[in-house]
Amino acid sequence: MAYFQCNYFSPTLCFNTDINVIIPTPNSDEILNNKKSDYLYDGAKFQVLYLLHGAYGDYSDWMRLTSIEKYAQDHKLAVVMPSASNSFYQNMYRGSDYMTYILEELPAFVQSIFPVSTRRENTFIAGLSMGGYGAVKMALQKPEQYAACASLSGAVDFMGIMKAAQSGEIQGPFRWDCIFEHPDEVQGSEADLFALAAKRMKEGARLPRIFQSCGTEDFIYQQNVHARQEFEKLGLDLTYEEHPGIHDWNYWDTHIQRVLDWLPLANDSVKE
Amino acid sequence: MAHIQCSFYSQSLMKNANVIVFIPTENADDYLIGTDVHYGCKGGKYQTLYLLHGSYGGSTDWSLLANVERYAQSRALAVVMPSGENSNYVDMDKGEAYLTYVTEELPAFLSKIFPLSKKREDTFIAGLSMGGYGAFRCALAKPELYGFAASLSGALDMQELQKSTEAHALKMPSGYREAVFADRKHLEGTDNDLSALLAKRVSEKADLPQLYMTCGAEDFIYPTNEIFYDNACKLGVPVTFERAHGVHDWDFWDTHIREVINNLLPCCGDLKI
Repeated sequence: MAYFQCNYFSPTLCFNTDINVIIPTPNSDEILNNKKSDYLYDGAKFQVLYLLHGAYGDYSDWMRLTSIEKYAQDHKLAVVMPSASNSFYQNMYRGSDYMTYILEELPAFVQSIFPVSTRRENTFIAGLSMGGYGAVKMALQKPEQYAACASLSGAVDFMGIMKAAQSGEIQGPFRWDCIFEHPDEVQGSEADLFALAAKRMKEGARLPRIFQSCGTEDFIYQQNVHARQEFEKLGLDLTYEEHPGIHDWNYWDTHIQRVLDWLPLANDSVKE
Repeated sequence: MAHIQCSFYSQSLMKNANVIVFIPTENADDYLIGTDVHYGCKGGKYQTLYLLHGSYGGSTDWSLLANVERYAQSRALAVVMPSGENSNYVDMDKGEAYLTYVTEELPAFLSKIFPLSKKREDTFIAGLSMGGYGAFRCALAKPELYGFAASLSGALDMQELQKSTEAHALKMPSGYREAVFADRKHLEGTDNDLSALLAKRVSEKADLPQLYMTCGAEDFIYPTNEIFYDNACKLGVPVTFERAHGVHDWDFWDTHIREVINNLLPCCGDLKI
């Protein structure tokens, strides 16, 4: 695996930002253990997973707190980890356009610099907590861009989470008055995933497959159970899992491996 | 400019390697002014400068101690800054194969990852001190790879430097010095003797890269530059030697890498499409 820490000016965010990118390249393990290592060649492209951090975090979290590099190497998957502050992956009313950044600029930037596939069938997005919401949000916002999305311990029942955070029932760093112009009018908008999914279903859009996983002792477990019911009611292509666990990196390190097993991966580079 | 720190397993070094890579991308100035460079254009490739550090240095030196990022951005030039430890960028007699790494693995590997042109006229190499020697050593080892090579305060008379008993030469741990060259006190006539390697390439009628060298007259390494330049002149090789003022320091290297990037490299100022 080659590990790239990349700092550059984002014209969408209008400031310098960091991303971590990992690209499968032949490593010592493959040499020592005679594993397949013929996947990097001129013109080789990789399937790519955009992997989103949660609240309080940034682009470095997944690399520092899980073994995503090892899992991605096993699957010959490129992984891109951006930063989105505490924006809930929205175009903030008072703040930066993180949704546009993640949906539009980031894939174009990454494709122009790194050997990743541009095809929908090879493009995936996942995240944890706020990033689990972000992953499903992006996938439903632009379903023609992603073949699949995955939420780990995600805030996918967005209205439920927002209300619990506003009432102080759960902790959060979110400035709702910065994220939204009218925080009281979010329900039914495109930030509300149930409403967005319903809209896309009504449009007859070809929607990405969804993977949802949450720990049964997680403080947002009940909201995940509710989101599952809503997604199933809407008829989305949902794979749901729950396992013992709380809202922590043990859960995410374990279950990001489930996500990679679930994704339609070639376990090889792809031609384009 | 995208400032990219790369860490990957190097097959020629047989260990993990760190490289800093600059890829031109729209920066804040471009955004404000509306510069028209074809950043990110599909299929476009960047001209590339391989930039080598000196002894006691590493891959981050050029990015931290000079303003290469600004100069390269202004010419839409990608820059690759590897680490060569204290190898003099040769395939060490008892150690890692840095010449192979810099001239073979790195261009092949990085062009699979990044949009870097592989054409000779788009590929340049430069360095300071040990890296100045390295730039010429690589360029003369593989003259077909590079359109231009520049040495700043280069250790161009390596055979004499290896015999030197001056304080700066003795600072290098003897174990390391013994590992680099098979017989370091008798480099004359080998490929590690730049004058001899140059003579060999001339006798082969090789198509040589454009060679540029500069050194400060007050630099302790200046005499080695005059010796190499004399030898090149005797061979009839058109080397450009800019005799400047300055010592062996980053003020000199920042000033002169700016000159190399801004005025000497045949940069087209855009992606090659």
